[in-house]
Amino acid sequence: MSRLKHVIRHEFRLAAANKTFVILTILGPFLIFAITVLPALLAQSPGSVASGKPLALYGAPPAVEQALAAAFSGMDIEVERVDDAAAAKASVQDGSRIAFLSIEPGWPDGGKAVWYSKSGAEIALYSSASAVLEAAARETRIVESGIDPALVAKVLSPPSFEVIKLDKGGAEEARGSDSFVEALMTVLVFIMLIYMTVLLYGQMIGRSVVTEKTSKTVEIMLSSVKSRDLLFGKILGLGLAGLLQYAVWVSMAFLLKQFVGPLLGLSVPAGISVENLVWLVVFFILGFFLYSSAYAALGAASEDEQHLGQMAWPLIMFLIVPLVMISTLVSNPDSTLVVVLSLFPLTSPIVMLARVLVSSPPVWQLALCIALLVAAVAGTAILAAKIFRVGILMTGKRPKLKEVLRWVTVK
Amino acid sequence: MITVENVYKAYSNVQAVAGLSFEARRGEIFGLIGPNGAGKSTMIRMIMNIIAPDSGTIRFDGEPLSEADKDRIGYLPEERGLYRKAKLGEVLEYLAAIKGAKPADYRPSIDAWLERFGLSEWKLRKVQELSKGMAQKAQFIGAIAHNPSVVLFDEPFSGLDPLAQDELLAVMVELKQKGVTVLFSTHIMEHAEKICERILLIDKGKEVVYGSMADIKTRYGHNAVQLEFDGDASFVAGLDFVESVVSYPRWIEVELKDGADADLLFRAIAGRLKVRRFETVAPSLHKIFIRIVGGEEAQNVQA
Repeated sequence: MSRLKHVIRHEFRLAAANKTFVILTILGPFLIFAITVLPALLAQSPGSVASGKPLALYGAPPAVEQALAAAFSGMDIEVERVDDAAAAKASVQDGSRIAFLSIEPGWPDGGKAVWYSKSGAEIALYSSASAVLEAAARETRIVESGIDPALVAKVLSPPSFEVIKLDKGGAEEARGSDSFVEALMTVLVFIMLIYMTVLLYGQMIGRSVVTEKTSKTVEIMLSSVKSRDLLFGKILGLGLAGLLQYAVWVSMAFLLKQFVGPLLGLSVPAGISVENLVWLVVFFILGFFLYSSAYAALGAASEDEQHLGQMAWPLIMFLIVPLVMISTLVSNPDSTLVVVLSLFPLTSPIVMLARVLVSSPPVWQLALCIALLVAAVAGTAILAAKIFRVGILMTGKRPKLKEVLRWVTVK
Repeated sequence: MITVENVYKAYSNVQAVAGLSFEARRGEIFGLIGPNGAGKSTMIRMIMNIIAPDSGTIRFDGEPLSEADKDRIGYLPEERGLYRKAKLGEVLEYLAAIKGAKPADYRPSIDAWLERFGLSEWKLRKVQELSKGMAQKAQFIGAIAHNPSVVLFDEPFSGLDPLAQDELLAVMVELKQKGVTVLFSTHIMEHAEKICERILLIDKGKEVVYGSMADIKTRYGHNAVQLEFDGDASFVAGLDFVESVVSYPRWIEVELKDGADADLLFRAIAGRLKVRRFETVAPSLHKIFIRIVGGEEAQNVQA
């Protein structure tokens, strides 16, 4: 046991005491912040792009002008009526006005309405203008047709419809249309995190095992420790480094939600909850052990890093499948295919995490998923220890699959 | 101390070790000698329990090697390697720690050995910055820093310059003086001849000669002459009382047939060569090896 401790400490130090690890650990939360909070921040105040510049308006009927002024005041943009179209265009070009909206006489059913701007890319602005114009045109046409506007309003008013998420405790939570996008965002961030870290740490283990062979340190190690201690020391040492990284990230996310978010008046996505962060760590740990054991076995059976890279492809495919299916995962989290993938150990860490985030999978499925994962981890670790024991001393030739299978059966 | 009995080991189609038996006694320097591919490394790996023999027994003080025994052994593998990304001092401390040594014991020991081999200033540098020779010395320190009572060195001199080789020989003698049992393998007979008390000479996995250096020399007689001269000595090989001749760059070693006298040779060369040195000697290990296995095999061996 004390030997294992030394191996763990050495491997932890090799993994954690380098610049890449420190940079990734510190920059990780900023990356998460950038992905999760910045889009929400930008969406909240699209007017910020205008930086206080006014909008020039030419030839609009008074009702339209009022409606536009009301719509844009919410974005801190003033609407200025102008009489000289050419001068207005020039002012847009020199940057003193954000845009110029020209409405020809006879609009909506004779003249054209044209939006001039320098970039043509301020979607938030011209879609508001377009919405105002659409409503105004509809109103004008209704009046011109002699229909009672009140009747039209009644016919067109949307019927009552609500989306409510029922969670396990029976609590009801109303969901707006934004919540799908928000859920998608949170799921995306969480499963990308799992995918990247499991892959990264798996590859680190694989490389570490191959390096043990290529740098010829393995013999001196085996003269002091059992091959099993060396293998598990590597896995646990790197696992500790991974947990340290997660601890930093999770506590940063927690701080963001509890203190920084409210302080800046930002709404942190509801998906970043303590419960979900716990699930993230649980599925990282299980996924990490499964993939790192598998990678260790592959490393022991590989000749060099290049060979390891080739052999690891089938394994990586299982990590990529859930990423490709992300929209299915979020929109249809309880379909048969998703449920199966959330129970199959190689895909379950990512898929089950996604399901936990967007719906409430039955407790038995969660329990079965974790039981299967734990069993798979144990099985893979035993297999890896056997392959490792024989394979780690094999150098200079690429073993065939048949040979590797024989190692497993050696007592 | 280490007793090997009738050990066999075959790889897929090569019989690496074919029935070796020997004993390395407590506190002696024991040499496992033979040409490349003779099975020396395989034998040492089996003693270290890194690979298992197909048959035969290896015992350590009468018992099979246990995990606890491994702590008392210092092992220098033939395939050298250290964790390249880690600092030299950290690697050496790690190697000592996994032998179960205490920091209070191994720290001063590591510092002393680094000092001895002139590597003190490299302690905080990464292993990958070391030159090949320095890395060799560092690995040697890694094998002995935990103060083992038995050391197994597999080809300890390979890759070292002559000066460093002499340094290593001196250290091995010092270890012996401290009571450490030293077992090492080499294909350079001269090294074995300098420091070994007892040897096992092997070829193709089989024993060629086994015993104390003194016995072996006696067994093969003081019946050789080392001759340094000016002139053409090619006729010496043709003399009827000469068994064989080994030519070195500046001198020859002449082995005489049983019953022949060195005087006979002296009279035969008188007047035909300008003799600088004429010395009767015990045959060198190299000479003995050639005599037993034949010249063809012996070409793999350095004098």
